[in-house]
Amino acid sequence: MTKRSMYIKMITSSLIRRRSRMFVALLAVAVGATILSGLVTVYYDIPRQMRQEFRSYGANFILVSASGETISEESAAAALGCIPEDKVVGTAPYRYETVKINEQPFMAAGTELSEARKASPYWFVSGEWPERDGSVLIGQEVADVIKLLPGNSFTMTGTDLAGESFSRDFRVSGIVQTGGTEEAFIFMSLADFASVIGENGAFDVVECSISASQAELETIAARVTEIAEDVAPRLVTRVTRSEGAVLTKLQALVFLVTAVVLLLTMICVATTMMAVVAERRKEIGLKKALGAPDKSIITEFLGEGLLLGCLGGALGSALGFGFAQIIGVNVFSRAVQFPAALAPATLIASVLITGLACLIPVRSATYVDPAIVLRGE
Amino acid sequence: MALLDIKGISKIYGSVKALQNIDLAVEQGEWLSIMGPSGSGKTTMMNIIGCMDKPTDGKVILDGIDISAESARNLTAIRRDKIGLIFQQFHLISYLTALENIMVAQYYHSMPDEKEALQALDRVGLLERAKHLPSQLSGGEQQRVCIARALINYPMLVLADEPTGNLDEVNEGIVMDIFRQLHSEGSTVVVVTHDPEVAEEAQRTVILEHGRIARITYNVGRESRKGE
Amino acid sequence: MFLRLVKGALFRQKKKMLMIAFTIALGASLATAMLNVMLDVGDKVNRELKTYGANINVLPKEVSLLDDLYGVSDGSGVLSESELGSLKTIFWAFNIVDFAPYLNVKARISGRDGEFRLVGTWFANHLELPTGEALDTGINNMKSWWSVEGEWPAGDDASAAMAGSIAAERAGLAVGDVISVSTGGGNGESVSLTIKGIFAAGSDEDERIYVPLSVAQGMAKRPGAVSSVEVSALTTPDNELSRRAAQNPKSLSVKEWETWYCTAYVSAICYQIEEVLTDSVAKPIRQVAESEGAILEKTQLLMLLITILSLAGAALGISNLVTAGVMERSREIGLLKALGAGNAPVSRLILTEILITGVVGGVAGYFAGLGFAQIIGQTVFGAAINIKPMVIPLVAILVFLVTLVGSVPSIRLLLSLRPAEVLHGR
Repeated sequence: MTKRSMYIKMITSSLIRRRSRMFVALLAVAVGATILSGLVTVYYDIPRQMRQEFRSYGANFILVSASGETISEESAAAALGCIPEDKVVGTAPYRYETVKINEQPFMAAGTELSEARKASPYWFVSGEWPERDGSVLIGQEVADVIKLLPGNSFTMTGTDLAGESFSRDFRVSGIVQTGGTEEAFIFMSLADFASVIGENGAFDVVECSISASQAELETIAARVTEIAEDVAPRLVTRVTRSEGAVLTKLQALVFLVTAVVLLLTMICVATTMMAVVAERRKEIGLKKALGAPDKSIITEFLGEGLLLGCLGGALGSALGFGFAQIIGVNVFSRAVQFPAALAPATLIASVLITGLACLIPVRSATYVDPAIVLRGE
Repeated sequence: MALLDIKGISKIYGSVKALQNIDLAVEQGEWLSIMGPSGSGKTTMMNIIGCMDKPTDGKVILDGIDISAESARNLTAIRRDKIGLIFQQFHLISYLTALENIMVAQYYHSMPDEKEALQALDRVGLLERAKHLPSQLSGGEQQRVCIARALINYPMLVLADEPTGNLDEVNEGIVMDIFRQLHSEGSTVVVVTHDPEVAEEAQRTVILEHGRIARITYNVGRESRKGE
Repeated sequence: MFLRLVKGALFRQKKKMLMIAFTIALGASLATAMLNVMLDVGDKVNRELKTYGANINVLPKEVSLLDDLYGVSDGSGVLSESELGSLKTIFWAFNIVDFAPYLNVKARISGRDGEFRLVGTWFANHLELPTGEALDTGINNMKSWWSVEGEWPAGDDASAAMAGSIAAERAGLAVGDVISVSTGGGNGESVSLTIKGIFAAGSDEDERIYVPLSVAQGMAKRPGAVSSVEVSALTTPDNELSRRAAQNPKSLSVKEWETWYCTAYVSAICYQIEEVLTDSVAKPIRQVAESEGAILEKTQLLMLLITILSLAGAALGISNLVTAGVMERSREIGLLKALGAGNAPVSRLILTEILITGVVGGVAGYFAGLGFAQIIGQTVFGAAINIKPMVIPLVAILVFLVTLVGSVPSIRLLLSLRPAEVLHGR
């Protein structure tokens, strides 16, 4: 048997055969590592997760025509192609035209209703979202003026693109409340809109809700300008800026909490290791009496500590991932992404912290007087 | 020249004089007992012989080296190479097996050698107990492991502190048999004890009182028993 | 004698007891800090979310739809500027953070083609309230997302204007320009204004020019009139009750109505605004109100889970150390038992010691935790964290339970020891 295998045998036996005592220390390290990896995962995942929540603010990126006219469908498609697909929450193109109901003028908007619903989740619809042709959503103000309820029908008149007048019946499927200007609009599907106004293959505006930071949005905007020259992308700064501000604060909060918790666990691990060493003064005394140099004693305890750190770290990374997952599922109702580099980072951190925490008590171990092994002292 | 030569040592802790002007020489192959009541300076004497403490005054020469002048670091090395310690409370490492406990001493001394360690265990009659943890051994067995560990590096001096203090009569007998065998093989043995029966086994008994050597008795019967 | 034993252990084992007290203090401080931050984080994040702007829009009851859509003013319904101060007298007055009135006018700028939409407002207004308090409010607080070139006009500057980036481009305006504006037709009196700043808002506000409210009132010949008010209020996330109330407050029972009225739901605040402003309709801006609720809820839940984790960590740390601390004393316990002490007195002795240590550590930790909380508050939100008294019993119970639970396994172990074995060091 070599010296090294004896060394390994000694430290592993110390951990395995003193199960209950070492379990306490292992628990301390594992809890520390759990907190570390859990909080760091949350810290990195907060922007991604919260950004999804912030999308309830609606569109943060708007495409309008650079010339003040309309955007052709092709340029709109080209522009939308610049947005990474996994970041898109909803993209709703809009066409507007003035129409008349009971000879009173109103604004009609044609859009892809399913996309509008995704892009503007804050719309409060009493009744249903339209599913069939000939069903529309009307704003609260429109409903108040012409006294309509969901399920009622009304006749819309106006002039189409060709200059011919039209008249068509629609059914109100729901009433929209937003507290904003949307309440004065009538929303219908693009197909219905084209059927009364006519087809021109263009949109007035495209509202996009994108799960991305302001900087990312600016990059997208720059790319859009390059690819589709007649499209002017605009950031809704009110949404993007405020989102950035709140996210930064939240991240800072979690960061600070992580730091405080980490400091605490470090101290806890250190005190636990101190207790472990204090408990084993006799053993240290014996080893010294057997002629062990200080160096051997230090390497043995450090070895035990590092092994403990390793085990605790591995356990902690797994538990931490579980914890982050619990937060993800409970708070944000979706799974978190676990940064792959975090597992080895947690392992290294816990080994370092345990090593560091062991240094003080181990140093004091070398001051143990071997004479304590004599007599019943 | 004597293996161990103590020349006029004193040990003073503050105002307490634990040892005062002691002269003692131990020859190679000798079996010596140190006896005395509590507070007579037995422990201090043992600490100094075992290279775990240094005298305030005087010289201790072990195998030609003046250990009273060495640093703590060198003392550790000397202890490792020249002395085998046996304790009243056995002091086995609780999480290592009997065999591994012996190998720890080899590990600090030079190289762990399982075969040699097994031979040592065999010598104290515990070969079949090699894989047991100390908690699974009886007191007598533990003391025998402790002895095997003390002998594994062929020390010049075996220093035993109250080796039978925690043992019943049967085990005491077994342990004393091992000591006798050691002596017959030529080992130098120093036993610190307060049990006159144990002390009588030695060739010479030094009786300490108040930090001084009160008297020295020669156990002539010991020589005659040797032939039995 | 019992007291002497306890005292002896506490003072003679000073170092070990200090270590345990220190760990308990650390755990308690973490618990205090996290609980305080958690209880206050809703309020803090709510204030942060105010950067999204107003969440309530107040309009006159008889407002014409056309006015909003086309900017045509027919003078149907207006709000009174003089009443605005009473917004700060409603039940939830404290939750009203900012508000700003608006009055729209179409105007021409001399030397430029076309009509421009002028909006009279308060840039920064100093208001003396009927309650004797004073308030500074206006759009400089509410439109924090505007990126402004130049500067915000001073509150008392009656000839200042701010132009939206699109309007400025159309009219070729630059910061510092002096313009002369008059109402359509060119027969109204003209007012000269200095462009103090040009802003980009990323919305249709960019097409407008903001002027002092008095200027717009003069041009529209409607002194004291306001066509809409935006209010920024701290609100509680909506629940089922508030949604029902928003549909029809009269559908609630008396008790429900009281609960609703006395909770800072956006619908309750709207209701209270309607009570103090004559002929007004207050509508929550759903985009802001709804999202705020969602984000607040998530943040609070997040903090709750993190707090639980930290508390669990602190609890384990403490009980770990308490266990280790008690184990170390096996020899002493063995001696006591050898002297004939029964299990009950021994447990009582250890528990008393640990609890005294726990109280000392807990009190120290509580105050340290208050410090921690303030550090977090100042660094993250730039504001002090409100200290909630309910944290004290929570921390006390936590420390008590944790030290107790931490010492139970070790005490059980010690009690199972046989004195002889301990004393023989096995």
